Amino acid sequence: MAYLEMIDIVKRYPGVLANDHVDLAVERGEIHAVMGENGAGKSTLMSILYGLQSPDEGYIRFKGSTLLLQSPLDAIAHGIGMVHQAFKLFESLSVWENVVYRREPRRGIFVDGARARAQVAELARRHGLPIDPEARVSTLPVGVRQRLEILKALYRDAQVLILDEPTAVLTPAEVATLFKVMRSLAAAGCTLLLVTHKLNEVMAVSDRITVLRNGRVAERLVTADTHVDAIVRAMTGHHVTLRLPKQPREPGAVQLEAKDLRVEQHGRRVVDDVSLSVRGGEIVGIAGVAGNGQSELIEALMGLTPVVQGSVLVAGRDVTHASVAAHRARGLSYIAEDRARTATAASASATDNLAMGFHRTAPLARKGLLQPQAMRAWASSLIERFDIKIASPETAVGTLSGGNLQKIVTARELAHNAPVLIAEQPTRGVDVGAIAFIHGELLAERERGRGILLVSAELSELLALADRILVMYQGRIVAEFARADADEATLGLYMAGGARA
Amino acid sequence: MKIAADVRRHLTRHLGPLLPIVGAVAVGFGVCGLIALWVGLSPRLMFQQLMIGAIEGPQLFETVARAVPLVGMTLAAAIPLRAGIVNLGADGQLALGGCAAAIVALYLPAPDLVRLGVALTAGMAVGSAYAALAAAGEIYAGVPLLLSTWLLTYPAKGLCGYLVRSPLRDPSTAWPSTARIAVGSRLGSLLPGTPVNQGFLLIALLAVAVIFIDRRSSVGFELRLRGLNQRFARYGGVALNRQTLGVMLASGAIAGLVGAIMVLGSQFRYTDGALTAPQYSWSGTLAALLAGGEPLGSVIAAVLFAALQTGGFAMERSVEIPRVLTMVLQSIVILFLAMRGAIWKRS
Repeated sequence: MAYLEMIDIVKRYPGVLANDHVDLAVERGEIHAVMGENGAGKSTLMSILYGLQSPDEGYIRFKGSTLLLQSPLDAIAHGIGMVHQAFKLFESLSVWENVVYRREPRRGIFVDGARARAQVAELARRHGLPIDPEARVSTLPVGVRQRLEILKALYRDAQVLILDEPTAVLTPAEVATLFKVMRSLAAAGCTLLLVTHKLNEVMAVSDRITVLRNGRVAERLVTADTHVDAIVRAMTGHHVTLRLPKQPREPGAVQLEAKDLRVEQHGRRVVDDVSLSVRGGEIVGIAGVAGNGQSELIEALMGLTPVVQGSVLVAGRDVTHASVAAHRARGLSYIAEDRARTATAASASATDNLAMGFHRTAPLARKGLLQPQAMRAWASSLIERFDIKIASPETAVGTLSGGNLQKIVTARELAHNAPVLIAEQPTRGVDVGAIAFIHGELLAERERGRGILLVSAELSELLALADRILVMYQGRIVAEFARADADEATLGLYMAGGARA
Repeated sequence: MKIAADVRRHLTRHLGPLLPIVGAVAVGFGVCGLIALWVGLSPRLMFQQLMIGAIEGPQLFETVARAVPLVGMTLAAAIPLRAGIVNLGADGQLALGGCAAAIVALYLPAPDLVRLGVALTAGMAVGSAYAALAAAGEIYAGVPLLLSTWLLTYPAKGLCGYLVRSPLRDPSTAWPSTARIAVGSRLGSLLPGTPVNQGFLLIALLAVAVIFIDRRSSVGFELRLRGLNQRFARYGGVALNRQTLGVMLASGAIAGLVGAIMVLGSQFRYTDGALTAPQYSWSGTLAALLAGGEPLGSVIAAVLFAALQTGGFAMERSVEIPRVLTMVLQSIVILFLAMRGAIWKRS
């Protein structure tokens, strides 16, 4: 009998069978990856294990006895901890206060601060988690905050630790540190469940893999005996080519140019004198950990945020202080990072969403009047060309999966036929099939001579698509590489601000 | 089969948004019935009297006459609401529009028809300009429209009140009001013997135009999508500030027109407070809220409110059931509709 088992778990939501008789078995001291595309049921399964949801059928066995979890408090009491993707910390308190919160060592009615500090320091030392117990959380970088979350779980005697997409916000160096911590925890007898969709990380750190697809277990794999292609096949149910062929191509004339661009927010320079250019037939990548000014830079390029200093030229014409409409008219199209909040209107139909930006000109409008027939035909043709799974063009896009919604955005922005496309995280959180499709489209557009500025947190995406890669750190562009000179380790170093001249 | 499917598609497309309203109205009537039972009245008698008072015989024309300004003020509220903007200053724009129309109708030396036309136009222009003031405040100085439209109501009412008390005062009446407008400068009766005047045609035309623009024009498309997701509209290239200004110009113009119609069509003078006393702007805002700013639904809701209000007056007169009950009904309907986020999204 395994150390931790989830047996025959069934969880139904209205209209969805999120977990369909799922079995999961994990041994003590193992790093077990739970993989699957969005909506495969991995989050549901983990929230059942952490007591956030109760299963409709099935049960959990831990160390030989059946667990009945009513809430996360029960899970914690049994030694099951979880590190969420979005950290749950008190920013204004110190590290040790966060760790001992609601489990403070006491002296009478007072918190025994000295003992708490000592306990936290000892715990951190024992598990090889370097951290200053006195530091304020608000001053800590993301990687250290995650360490603090792990420490919180260990302080509550977690024997099983669930890590939900732990690397999403980390630099490559921080990822390496996290993996070291994970291995040392496993060696000390702690059991780790790693929820992720990143293949290379699973290959690097896990012992075994359970792959979910459509709420069922699609495959159980031993990492040492498997290959990335086999995991992708298990996740998608079919073969997907992740490596797309890329033809060498001479770039054309400069289409988009930024000179000494500066954006300030609350008196802080979030974009600090950035200059860049994108030429036709070229993909320029921007690497960087989220929050280093990439979003603000793109908003400044599009005219969505005021520029304090510097200029933006599209096809040689100055648009620095022009409206968004003028930017688009001069030749920019834009796949925004947040497809649900910015790039679509969830309760509007696919027809309306696909018509945005085309709604003032023929054929969709004539003399200021919409042409409903033409609008429907337009939507239908894009839906067909991009293979978007949707009931009808009249269906509200809020009902679509992440991948299909992203295809709506991609379809509309590519249809603009603008000389420059800004693609911001174009494949974040979409399934492997949609990633391959969108990558293929971007490369095809490059072939056709379009200039693409690609912002991505995924180095693998940048390395697969970009011709040049710029690295942003604290609002500045700190390095630029031709694709041939770039590799993950070097980029990672610059992303962490470690290699500033 | 194809025809049946087409019909169904059109029904869900055009009437689908009305379903929650029907539900909320049904609940409202139900609750009012229960209240009547509780205080020992017959709900049957109440609804019967309400219905008779709203639509039987000459009462029908009372309802139509009341619906004209109410539908107008509803459109004035619905247009901004469609884009997620609230114009709480319609009362001020209404008063200024009415006052301007009265001044032109009384003092402009011109042929009758010209004077009438200029009076209506002046009402619209003044209402429009006053609403634009609030829009400019938001665009250039960051004063929220919700606040500025509401607060600007008081100076507008105050100015009109001053004018009719002092320089324009008709000394022959006890009320602070202008002189009576000559017959030639009035909007004539549409159906002799009833209170329905030519303003009905103007507002009906306006309603059709607003519905058409909302559904079929590029401008309406941008307005609707901004209401659904403002960030998306901005990202897509909609010039939000210009849109805000346009929306407020249109809304203010309609409120001003309603003021002009009330003065030129039924009151024949501008009397301090007389335009705002029936609280058409308030009922109009509620009707527009009821339909989420969708113009056809808003107009239907406004007509329903007009019927309820005239019915309420008649009911109070004939069986002494206080008409405040009809206001209770209106409030319950709105409250239940506000829940639709929870109730209707699930299905």
